[in-house]
Amino acid sequence: MADLLSTVAILFIVAGPFLLVANRFRLPTVPLLIVAGIFAGVFVDEELTLELAQYGIALLVFWFGVKIELSTVRTVLSDSEIATLAQILVVGSLGVGLGLVLGVPFQESLYLGIAAALSSTIVGVFLLQREIQRNLVRGRLAESIHFVQDLIAVILLLVLGAGAFELDPIATQLGYGVLFFIAAILVNRYVFDLLGRLAGNSSELMIVGSVSILVLFIGTARLVDVSIVVGAFAAGLAIRHDREQYLDLFNGIESIRDFFVAIFFLTIGALVAVPTLEKLLLVAGLVVLTAVVKPAITTVVLIFQGYEARTATLTSLGIDQVSEFSLIIAIQALLLGALGQTVFDAIIMAAAVTMITSSLTQRFDERIYLFLADRNLIRGRHGRVDALSRLPDDITDHVIIVGYGRQGRKLVDACENLEQSYVVVENDPEIRPLVREECDAFVFGDAMDRYTWEKARAGAARLILSTVPYDPISRLILELGVEADVILNASDVETALKLMDEGAHYVVVADLLAGEQLVTYTSAILSGEMTPEELRDGRVEALRSRHGG
Amino acid sequence: MILTVDLAIILLSAALFGLAARQTRQPTIIGYILAGVVIGPAVLGLVEVGTLTETISELGLAFLLFLLGIKMRLEEVRDILVPVVKISIPQMLLVALAGGGIALALGFGGVEALIIALAVMYSSTAVVIKMLNDKDEATSLHGKIDVGILLVQDIVVVILLAVLAAGRPESLGEVAVTLGVVLGLVALISVAALLASRFVLPSLFRRIAGNRDVFFLISISWAFIFVLVSSEINVLLAPFGIEAYLSIEMGAFLAGLAIAQLPYSKELQERVNPLTDLFVMVFFVTVALDLEASELLFYWKEALATVVLLMPLKFLIFFVLLRWQKFDVETTFLGSITMIQVSEFGIILGVAAFAGGFVGEEVLGYLTLIALLTMSLSVYFIEYNHALYRRFAPFLERFDVEGAFEGGKREYDGHAVLIGYDQVTRNALPLLAEHFEDVVVVDRQADHIKTLESEGYTAIYGDFRNATIRKSAGLKRAAFVLSSSVELDVNRALLREVSPDAVVFVEAEQVDAARELYEQGAHCVIMSTRLAGDRLAAYLKTYLQDPDVLKRVAKADEELLRDLAAIPSIHERMVGGLDG
Repeated sequence: MADLLSTVAILFIVAGPFLLVANRFRLPTVPLLIVAGIFAGVFVDEELTLELAQYGIALLVFWFGVKIELSTVRTVLSDSEIATLAQILVVGSLGVGLGLVLGVPFQESLYLGIAAALSSTIVGVFLLQREIQRNLVRGRLAESIHFVQDLIAVILLLVLGAGAFELDPIATQLGYGVLFFIAAILVNRYVFDLLGRLAGNSSELMIVGSVSILVLFIGTARLVDVSIVVGAFAAGLAIRHDREQYLDLFNGIESIRDFFVAIFFLTIGALVAVPTLEKLLLVAGLVVLTAVVKPAITTVVLIFQGYEARTATLTSLGIDQVSEFSLIIAIQALLLGALGQTVFDAIIMAAAVTMITSSLTQRFDERIYLFLADRNLIRGRHGRVDALSRLPDDITDHVIIVGYGRQGRKLVDACENLEQSYVVVENDPEIRPLVREECDAFVFGDAMDRYTWEKARAGAARLILSTVPYDPISRLILELGVEADVILNASDVETALKLMDEGAHYVVVADLLAGEQLVTYTSAILSGEMTPEELRDGRVEALRSRHGG
Repeated sequence: MILTVDLAIILLSAALFGLAARQTRQPTIIGYILAGVVIGPAVLGLVEVGTLTETISELGLAFLLFLLGIKMRLEEVRDILVPVVKISIPQMLLVALAGGGIALALGFGGVEALIIALAVMYSSTAVVIKMLNDKDEATSLHGKIDVGILLVQDIVVVILLAVLAAGRPESLGEVAVTLGVVLGLVALISVAALLASRFVLPSLFRRIAGNRDVFFLISISWAFIFVLVSSEINVLLAPFGIEAYLSIEMGAFLAGLAIAQLPYSKELQERVNPLTDLFVMVFFVTVALDLEASELLFYWKEALATVVLLMPLKFLIFFVLLRWQKFDVETTFLGSITMIQVSEFGIILGVAAFAGGFVGEEVLGYLTLIALLTMSLSVYFIEYNHALYRRFAPFLERFDVEGAFEGGKREYDGHAVLIGYDQVTRNALPLLAEHFEDVVVVDRQADHIKTLESEGYTAIYGDFRNATIRKSAGLKRAAFVLSSSVELDVNRALLREVSPDAVVFVEAEQVDAARELYEQGAHCVIMSTRLAGDRLAAYLKTYLQDPDVLKRVAKADEELLRDLAAIPSIHERMVGGLDG
């Protein structure tokens, strides 16, 4: 059964049940693919799939290059750099130390350090989607931490791809890295649009063209003896474009990527050999370092920088796994002969384990935080909140407005028109300048943190209005037990009713209102009361008069 | 790191030739085949096919048929099963006779003529299915007929390959046994696929439908089960002392068919398509990669003569047979003109014959040349099939048949399309149902699909971002479109494709987005967060100015909410206390 087709087939078939497990327990697919690979390894000859796996690596890094969001990261970047670098240094050193203690040669121990220090993009971001969507600080924070780590990972890949720790080869690699970067920008600027024009609206040709660009970059990389990862990353930068414009293209590349990346993780699992005691010790050590020590250190550093305890803890719980970049670094090293089978296996297994544990810590992150907070193991600093907020010390009978989005702004206007004092509670650093400029009084802190409410003098307030349809916040507000009346926001009717039963004065359900409006207008059109053009003109006019121009 | 170069060169040349083909308005398949000829041993000799490339081409065909299987519905296949078999067998016999006759007339020997006859009787699965897919005609009546014929041919190919591999057959009995074994295996696997489709797959897929990655990968696993069984059938049957061959394409098709019955098939098509396109492209490039120039062109005159004679003959044979089965003349014409090429299987058969010592390498070259030429030429005929039919229609009408076979695709027209079934839109649904005969709902959640279908709506599971889904919803012919998506790219795509007469309601979160959407033709943009803000502000004002009024209003609105929670569809009463 030595043929490639059967091997790939077996890998996917074995993966099947494991994927079902991942779905059933809401775990990420990556670690379970690795585990499936470990099982399938018995049946397959992984040499055959190595080449396919490398296309998986290339596509993984390629996609990373395509998807990097450079802009949103800027705001929180300066804060996270320090935490990231500190964590990498400390945890990295501990990893190296672990290896040395267990008798692993220094050069290989370095890889252990790298594995412990870097956190995963795919798994980490997968779990973070929720947070990033809510624009909460810690979502941004974790995102930018990942970003810094991934950049460091790419640089490491470049350097380690040289195969030796001497200046010349490393300089060459870095030099080529820069050249590739420039080529990427040129292709992005000039070649890609040409491709688009030549391909017409054939997504098939666009996909082929883009894959060809990737292949060209990888081929060139191989030609000049640079790691294909660098080529792939540059190719990703070369293809970066507005997703909407090239929707079919990016959807297509995503499907191709998913296929090959799955093969990559399956193969890497298949490469793992039978566990020995030494190996298991290494795995255990790495897991502890990654899943316990790393988040602990990160939390401490973030608190030291002034972040709230909750933000710090929850962020750290998002980076407590081994990065898939570490896997790529490991396999590159294995193929270059710089890494032995034992350490390689240990890294792979630790990765699978920590990716699973990380998804669990993310799921129960609030509970973990409360557990630690109640036992006073974590004490936040309020320096940031105090420094960034501005409000009179003795404000009373005010209206507290949670969230300065569209809804919040309208409410502030209403208050100012009626000369009612108010305090805005907001947490998003991107909105901070706006808040500072437009609001008389505000507290810049996490609405989930009680100190924020203390600061906002909730006890003396008259009314609390939440514009955030996030259940935990709504409940926290109700649990504050203050005298003020509470009007909340909910995403569905059932939650709204529950909140009202628990004491909310009223609850707004945005979707419901939209539904009402929809029905009104649809009826009007269908019954002939209004023509579509009349409707449109009316709506555009309303928009103009409310928002100008 | 090891990465072979041949795949890279193939991809690059395919891209270049494909783009060139596009620019010169040729079908891309031509570009790919040409790329293969140019980079192969015949011209530049840049590439030799490696294991990876070979595997990817095989996978290409397998996925192509997997995709095809996903598009087919069992009832549709069942209807035409009998006519298809009745057409395929005589067709192969007649074409073989024609091919053999031409070969003998051109001076080939007896055995050679036999092999040639056997090689030319197939039509190209790759060309036909790729073209049908691209033109979106795979599920049309003529498309289904052609696919059916190709599948029957597939079974025959497999049998022949098995016989040739064993060397000269001892007796007719041996051939019969192989025939029996293969048919039996195909039946067995078909039954397995059908049972799975009825009992295992629905619940399995319902559970994973919400998880994009798992859904895609499990579908691939499912296909690979069939692929593995087909490709390793010999190993599996060894303990029983039976020798057999099955094509992985047939296995993949059955795997797809099993999934076709489920509502998730469109979404899956969208995901598998790009992968298939890429792999099939590699396949087309590799068709020409295996021969030396001398052998390829040795019999070039004979090859040309054969092409000129064989293609019209094939067309005639198909035409007569389809008409015999009482298909209407348009279906007959379109179905026939699609199948006039010689298949890549012919090359494979030639290779097997050469390896088995039945023919010389020049004959193999002759067969390859015929395949290449006919495949390329037929692409043009298929591309312009409808135009050709219209040109010849008056002449052909005399061949039309009374009581022609019915069967076609259901198309929506003047219907309502609802994208996304959620709190905002669900109350509008009964309204739409009152006014429109057909209401098509597109949604990404499996349980919504179930609810909708049980209430009698047509529901399509899938992501509206995907072109296939938009096509199945009949977006271009819809009279009323309602989108609950706040994503700008979805709504933009929507407005671009919808007819100018359609009424379009969309949602947005930002004012700028709303403005843009109005400019692009939306009639109403609902902004839920803005509404919430308005409502909150209204409450606030009332609270500050007259708290008692607010208390009353809040009470009334609360009652309304409770009512709504109990009975979600009383849309007439949905007006809040502070409105009006």
